[in-house]
Amino acid sequence: MKKYLSIFKIQVVNSLAYPGELVGRSLMIIPFMWVFYQLWSVTFRSTGAEAINGLTLRDTLWYLMMAETIELGRPRIARTVAENVKDGSIAYLLNKPYDFMLYQFSTSMGETVFRTATNALFGGAITWWLVGPPPHLSNWTLALVAVMGAWILNFAMNALIGLAAFVAEDVAPFEWIYQKLAFIFGGLLIPLDFYPQWLQTLSRFLPFSSMVYAPARLFVAPNAGGFTSIIALQFFWIMALSLALSLAYRKGLTYLTVNGG
Amino acid sequence: MGQLKFLLAVWKANLLSAMEYRVAFLSQVIGMMLNNFMYFAIWIVFFQRFKDVNGWGLNDMWVTFGVLASAFGLVSLLFGNAFNLSDIIMKGRLDYYLSLPRPVLLHAVASRMIGSGMGDFTYGFISYALSGLFSWDGLARFLLATLLAAVVFASFLIIIQSLAFWLGMLTNFTNVMINAILTFGIYPATLFDTTAKFVLFTIIPAAFMGSLPADLIRTFSWTTLGQLFLGAFVFLCLATSLFRLGLRRYESGSGIQVEV
Repeated sequence: MKKYLSIFKIQVVNSLAYPGELVGRSLMIIPFMWVFYQLWSVTFRSTGAEAINGLTLRDTLWYLMMAETIELGRPRIARTVAENVKDGSIAYLLNKPYDFMLYQFSTSMGETVFRTATNALFGGAITWWLVGPPPHLSNWTLALVAVMGAWILNFAMNALIGLAAFVAEDVAPFEWIYQKLAFIFGGLLIPLDFYPQWLQTLSRFLPFSSMVYAPARLFVAPNAGGFTSIIALQFFWIMALSLALSLAYRKGLTYLTVNGG
Repeated sequence: MGQLKFLLAVWKANLLSAMEYRVAFLSQVIGMMLNNFMYFAIWIVFFQRFKDVNGWGLNDMWVTFGVLASAFGLVSLLFGNAFNLSDIIMKGRLDYYLSLPRPVLLHAVASRMIGSGMGDFTYGFISYALSGLFSWDGLARFLLATLLAAVVFASFLIIIQSLAFWLGMLTNFTNVMINAILTFGIYPATLFDTTAKFVLFTIIPAAFMGSLPADLIRTFSWTTLGQLFLGAFVFLCLATSLFRLGLRRYESGSGIQVEV
């Protein structure tokens, strides 16, 4: 466990080595939040309602800020894993005294921490300026726990996509499609509360809602009952995806041929 | 005419090179079409719930998204290096193009094809066909609008990437700007106030990629056509002038070599 913590720490330090890069990447959230503000303020005005399905304009914007922070903060670990598989560097990582997947997990988490923090900083600043302070400042901790669950789920999904490189020439299309599934079923651009009932029911059960919607919704409307069910669902998906990942990794290794080196 | 023949030869070579990895190329094309459709599904959900945004409905979105996707795809296919021109400049890889008797900018940007662009380009036509606003003369306008939007987009890419001559490595900045033009281009023009519209016609010319070409496709107007031509002309002139100006500051990577 200690070695994985060290890998995590090294990655955190690495991500801080280029502060300009970190800040530059996080600036992307500003135009997104600005255009969301334009869209949703016009939409709320046209409906004439103060709140839509329990969410006010301020709630909606803060929800979207949190959803975007999670999405933009996640490292593209699928590409890293796929590159390791395709260029054969996985062979050099396999003979090291650590588990390849846990190594990837530690680096992924190390990369995520400050990316998410800087996105939250810039996203939070512009959202505050546009619609005022976030609701329920005191309950951020609940959302933070759910965000961590989302990170683990995201890693598992991305690593699965990366491992597809054992059998597919190019994993980029899988990554695009996964991202769009997260957009739709995760409620990244529209909160799930605004969806038709049947789509809400379907989305809430799928893992994507645990990755984006659940932490973002907790951020604007925290409640203990909702928190428990969110964590339970996240735990279920983490277990299911970890099992799938473990099986895919073992199966993938059987395709691996190392020629000298 | 000579330049066109040269371009056709470069594009043919790019296509043959992409087809070397046929499965990867096809999976990128199909994957990108699926990706676009899934992205658009969010707008279907949105408009089912809210019907219209300041007079902008789902049909308008199909057309706007279609023209933007096709223009983006066309630039990715034909001028793929426009997306990483700053990288080429900073790494001194312009040397290769400078050593050959062909226009440097044209040769550099046309030397790469992004396979997924074929998926974007094709999807744009499907999107237009599904809009419920399809007509044959509309299709001709769609083609023209896509071409003009692609000129603006390629010029915009060259402008922001050419800043590397003065400012150095700009990967994050260019990513932010590319994301901004695509994001703003997809959204209904009716959302934005006068100041925002000014920005969308000048600093980030998203209006020339989305709402304005969509206006032309839906209803022909000489004014809109004139605006599109003017936009394409001005941005193309700006892009070529800025690149030429920057080229005077270019520092060689000592990589001049002629490959025979």
